[in-house]
Amino acid sequence: MGDESKNSGISRRQFLRRSAVTPLALALAGGALSSVYLRPADAGGFTLRPPGAVAGKRFLSACVRCGKCAQACPYGSIKLAGGEAGTGIGTPVITPRETPCYLCQDLPCVKACPSGALDNNLEDIENVRMGTAVIIDRESCLSIRGLRCEVCYRQCPLIDKAITLEVRHNTRTDEHTIMEPVVHKEKCVGCGICENSCVLPKPVIVVQRLVETQKDGYEF
Amino acid sequence: MSSRWWLPRRAAQLSTLALIASPLLGLGVFRGNLAAGELLGMPLADPLAFLQALIGGRVLVLSYLGSALLVAAFYFVLGGRSFCGWVCPVGLITEMGDKLRRRLDSGGSTLPLASSRFSLALVLATVALTGIPLFEVLSPIGIVSRAVVFKSLLPLLLPAAILLVEVSVSRRVWCRSLCPLGGFYSLLARFSPLRVAFLKERCTHCGDCLRACPVQEVLAPPLEHAAPQVAAGDCSRCLACVDSCPTKALKISFTYKSSCTG
Repeated sequence: MGDESKNSGISRRQFLRRSAVTPLALALAGGALSSVYLRPADAGGFTLRPPGAVAGKRFLSACVRCGKCAQACPYGSIKLAGGEAGTGIGTPVITPRETPCYLCQDLPCVKACPSGALDNNLEDIENVRMGTAVIIDRESCLSIRGLRCEVCYRQCPLIDKAITLEVRHNTRTDEHTIMEPVVHKEKCVGCGICENSCVLPKPVIVVQRLVETQKDGYEF
Repeated sequence: MSSRWWLPRRAAQLSTLALIASPLLGLGVFRGNLAAGELLGMPLADPLAFLQALIGGRVLVLSYLGSALLVAAFYFVLGGRSFCGWVCPVGLITEMGDKLRRRLDSGGSTLPLASSRFSLALVLATVALTGIPLFEVLSPIGIVSRAVVFKSLLPLLLPAAILLVEVSVSRRVWCRSLCPLGGFYSLLARFSPLRVAFLKERCTHCGDCLRACPVQEVLAPPLEHAAPQVAAGDCSRCLACVDSCPTKALKISFTYKSSCTG
């Protein structure tokens, strides 16, 4: 053994150090790489992006992860994703339950984006379609259960356009009114203020991916 | 020690980090990071990030193209990989790691320099085929910048792993042989006018420059063949050789001599 280490020109100490540290270092590097690649972006479902974000997977390539949109956001609504976002690492995300998008009139995040990942042709904030609000749990919605809540409706910046109240008789008590908030996706900008304002511990109105209304040919 | 290039170089490296961190102090001097930024209102863009966004995202913003060309022209004039030696924060970190490696006397092996061009090809092929901007996802430069500005600390595992590999296994392997951005700038640097010049009549063959150089295989051939310039694209223009030369046989020059090999 002693002769061998002399022949190869490394000492026993060097050999031990290399044989211990090399696998450790390579394992760490490999782990760091695979932790990113084993997780596709959007693994957790829909990710809310800043206004004007180009659609879907293209956003992940068009965004160069410079963080200027997040730096431009006056409310701190835009955060950059970490390693948990997989290939979306470093891209901007909005978590409405923490801070929704308040849709500044002058869209500073869109203006800050250098690469066109946020479409700088966007000017009118009512044309923003980050997603659309959906009531995902009708059984839990206080308003639909007949209580006077309507917080999402009152908080919606597009009140009576994006969310309206549908009034009907409460057949359960037979003497009250149900005022059900109804989202109109052709008006909803997907800012997440409703999701942020929902009074329940788990919001029953959340922003989801916008699916355009389909022309199905059924007339009635 | 005739010249002191290390001082302005270290100052430039630290200024880059300071600029990236400056928004934290509420200063409006700089926004963004090295992928895309804004210095005193002037948009700047990493040309490789631009290419990935263009190929994968299929969006072309003219101002973005302009700022990427501006940066590419800047580094072309100033030696290409001078980005690696003077600006890149990962270069600064791995340089510190290399000092530690020398002290530990470990990890002498390296990979060939040309591998960085393969990394570059891999990045461009990946974004073209899958739409994943491989380098923007993995870039330790972006990870370090975002750790500074947005305190996104967990992804620092990757630069930490690079540092560990470099200190223990392979000398400066990321910067020399794996970084696709280094590969990109090495292509630019081939025809750059800013070069290290060699005055063979002053050389005493003491070898100090080769010990200081992070890419000996680039510096050695011009010395052996008494070429007037170090021409290879992988020279990061760190000027450590110029600093180390006791007889001023190496100096900085700003002329393109086509007789050089590189």
